[in-house]
Amino acid sequence: MTFTRKALARRTFLRGAGAAVGLPFLDAMVPALSFGKTIETPVRMAFVYVPIGAIMEHWNPSYTGPLGELPRILKPMEPFRKDMLLLGNLTHNGGRALLDGGGDHARATGGYLSGVQPRKIAEDSSYGDRNGHSTAAIKAGITADQIVANQIGGKTRFASLEVGMEDAQQAGNCDSGYSCSYTNNLAWKSDTQPLPPTLDPRALFERLFGDDGDLSPQARERRNLYRRSILDYVTEDSKKLETRLGPADRSKLDQYLTSVREVEVRIQQNEKDNRQIDPGMEKPGGTPGDFAEHFKLQSDMITIAFQADLTRTVTFLVGREGSNRPYREIGVPEGHHNLTHHRNNPEMIEKVAQINCYHMRTFAAWMEKMKAHQEGDRSLLDNSMIVYGSGIADGNRHTHEDLPTIVLGSGGGFLKPGRRLVYRRETPICNLYLTMMEAMGVHRENFGDATGHLPGLTAA
Amino acid sequence: MPQPRQTEKPAVGIVFDSALSRVDDALAMALLYGLDGKKEERFVSVSVSRVSLKAAIYSDVVGRFYAGAVSGAIGFGGRTLPVGLADSGTLKNDEPFFTQPLVKTLVDGKPAYPSDIHDESDTGEVAAVIRNALTAQWDANTIVVVSGPASNLVRVLETGGAKDWIQRKVKLLVFTGGRFPDGPAETNIKADVESARRLFAEWPTPIVACGAEMDGLVSYPGSSIEKDFAWSPAHPVADAYRAGGVMPYDAPVWAMHSALYAVRPQEGYFKVSDTGTIGVLDDGRTRFTPSSGGKHRYLIFDPAQKERIVKTYTEIASAKPVPRPQRIPLPKQQKPAEPKKPLEEKPDEKK
Repeated sequence: MTFTRKALARRTFLRGAGAAVGLPFLDAMVPALSFGKTIETPVRMAFVYVPIGAIMEHWNPSYTGPLGELPRILKPMEPFRKDMLLLGNLTHNGGRALLDGGGDHARATGGYLSGVQPRKIAEDSSYGDRNGHSTAAIKAGITADQIVANQIGGKTRFASLEVGMEDAQQAGNCDSGYSCSYTNNLAWKSDTQPLPPTLDPRALFERLFGDDGDLSPQARERRNLYRRSILDYVTEDSKKLETRLGPADRSKLDQYLTSVREVEVRIQQNEKDNRQIDPGMEKPGGTPGDFAEHFKLQSDMITIAFQADLTRTVTFLVGREGSNRPYREIGVPEGHHNLTHHRNNPEMIEKVAQINCYHMRTFAAWMEKMKAHQEGDRSLLDNSMIVYGSGIADGNRHTHEDLPTIVLGSGGGFLKPGRRLVYRRETPICNLYLTMMEAMGVHRENFGDATGHLPGLTAA
Repeated sequence: MPQPRQTEKPAVGIVFDSALSRVDDALAMALLYGLDGKKEERFVSVSVSRVSLKAAIYSDVVGRFYAGAVSGAIGFGGRTLPVGLADSGTLKNDEPFFTQPLVKTLVDGKPAYPSDIHDESDTGEVAAVIRNALTAQWDANTIVVVSGPASNLVRVLETGGAKDWIQRKVKLLVFTGGRFPDGPAETNIKADVESARRLFAEWPTPIVACGAEMDGLVSYPGSSIEKDFAWSPAHPVADAYRAGGVMPYDAPVWAMHSALYAVRPQEGYFKVSDTGTIGVLDDGRTRFTPSSGGKHRYLIFDPAQKERIVKTYTEIASAKPVPRPQRIPLPKQQKPAEPKKPLEEKPDEKK
C-alpha cells in the first residue's frame, strides 16, 4: 500500500503474504474539501431467502400504514419498525404449477429472483413439457442481483456474493422432476447458469479475505501449521495505515479488525467443535451444527463484506427450498418440511411457527449489527436494502401469492421504511426488484414478470 | 401440495373483461359459469374495466356463488379467483343492478352475498391478473371476451413480455363494441377511443367484434328470472336482473352474444363476416375494411337463430352450479376476513 497526502481510496486493502483485508468506510476516505457536503456512500442490496414460507396468520397484521404492533413471527423486528417495510400481496407467479404439476419448492426458489418459471427436467429424457418442447437442460432466468452485479459489480472486488447454509447438490432431481439447481441456488447469472452459494464459513472467509491467487502451497502449509490469523499477515500494513488515521478512525479500524478476528476465531473453534458433536445431519466440514451459529458466521461475513465494500450485492439462501432440517436446539426434532404439511393440525402449526420465529430472531440479531455500524450520518443498515422472504407463503398448500416479504433499510434514503403496504392481488414481486434496481442506480423498463414499479415505496 | 402434471389438453380457458355497464354483463357471467359447469370451457380470469370497487365486489360475489362448483371460480392456491380492477378510466359510477344485491341480507341479518373484497388491495392488478391467467393455459387454448372499453387489454399489452404470452396462449379475442361495417360511434369505443384504436392495431391474435348492430335484436325474457332461477333463494345474477329494471322486463343480451360465440363458434348461432381490418376513427366510429389477409371479422345476426339463442341463454345462464370436489380444502384463514383497519393511512400508501 502506498500512502500519499490524498484521501484514502474507498477500496483500500490491507495486504500481507497471501492475504488481503478490505477496510470499512473511514473518515480518512473523505476528501478534505468535501467535509460539510453530503458523503456518497454505496448502497447495498441483499436477498435473504427462508424456505417453505411462514404461518401467515402470525405474519400479516390486520392494519396498513405506519408499522404498529407486529405479529408473532415479526416480533423480533420490533426494534427495527422504523427501518422496515412490511409488504403484502406480492406474488411469484412462476412458482405456480401453470400446468407443470408438482414442484412448488423448486419453482419457488428457482424463479424467486427472476420471475420466471424454471424448466422442469425429468428422469425420462423423452418427457417433454406440456407443449412438447425438450426438457433436457436446466433453464430459469437471470436474477435481479445479477442484473445489478453486471452493471455495478466492477466497482467492488466481488461483483456479487452468494452465501448459503444447507445443501450444495447441483445435479439430480430434487423436487418432482425439477433439478436440484433450482432448490439449491438463489442467484442465476444467466438462464442456464446458477451461481452456487458458499456454504462453508471457512471457504467464505478465505474467499473474502484470503488472496489464494498469491498464496503458494508452501505459504498455505506454513499458515495452516502455525494457524496464525490472516490478520497477522497484514499487521505491518495496518500499522502503516494507523499513522494516517485520526482517533475516531483508529477506533473504527480496531473494532473492524477485531470483528474480523472474532469471526476467524469462531470458525476455528467450530472446526474443533465439529469433531466433538453430532449435528444430526450431513454437514460440510467446518460448518457449525447449530443453525444460529452458522447463520451468525455467514451474516457476520456479509456485514464485513458490506462494510469493506467488497461487494454490494448478496444473495443468502438460509435453507434449501423444501428443507427438512430439524431444529432440535429449539425443541423441534421433526423435519421442517414434514411439519409444514400440517393439514391444520394445531401442534404441527405451532412447531412451524416456532421455526419461523427462530429464523426471525436470528435475522434480527444480524440486523442489529448492521444498524450499529455508522457510515457518515447513516447506519450501514440504512445504506442497504435487505429483503427477507420466501417464494412460498403457505407451506401447507404451496401458495405463491401474498408472499412473506419484509425489506430492511432505506437504500441510502431511497425507500421510505416504517410502513405496512398492501398491494393489489397478483402484484409481481419483480415489481419490488425493479424499484430496488433504481436505488442501486440500475434503470430498467422491465424485469422478469414485472408490470411496473411498486407505488408508494420510495421516499420521493 | 403436489399436483399431477396436466397431460391432456383441457377445455378452452375464458378470460372475461367487462365494464358491468348493464345487466347483460352479469348474464354473460352466468352464461360462462354455466358453460364451465358443462365443461365446455374454463372460466379462468375475470376483470372489471369500470373504476368501481363495488363492481369488483359484485364480480367476486358471482364467482363465490359458483365457488366449488366450477373449475374457474377457485383460482390459484384455493383462494377465489382474483378479480382484476381498472386503475383508471372514464367509467366510474356504480350501477344499481350490481350495488343492490350487495346490500341484500338473509333472514338472520347476514349478507346474502359475502365477498372477499373489502378494499382495493383485495382486487387484482388487471395486467397481472390477465397475464398470469394466460401463463397457466395451454398454447392457443384461451379466448378473451371483452364487454366494455379496451382499456384493460391495452394495459396488458403495455406490460413487458405480455404480447408474447398473448400471441402464444390466446387464439381469439371477442370484442363487444363498435358498429359494423360502419355507423355512428358506439359507447364501448367512445369510453376510450385511443385504447380501442391501439387494441385493433396491436392485438396479435384474430379478433371477432360483436358490434352494436347486434344489440337489441334479441332480449332475455324477464319471465325466466322468476321461473328458471327459482331453485335458488338468493342468486346474485337474478337479483341483479331484478335491480336492473321494473320487473318483469326483457333485458339486453349483447354481451351474452360475445360469450356464446366465444365458446360455441361452430354451432351456427351467428354468421360471421369475411376477414378484414377494423379501424377506429378519431370520433370513435369504427370502420371495417375487407381484406383477405385481415385478422378481424364481425358477427352478423341470423334471424333464423333467434329462438334457439334465447333458449340457450335461459337454460345455461340459469343452470345450477355443478359441484366439483376441491383438490385442496380451504384452510381456516381463507374464510372471509375482517375488513382491514387503516392506521393513519395516507392516500398514496396503498395503491
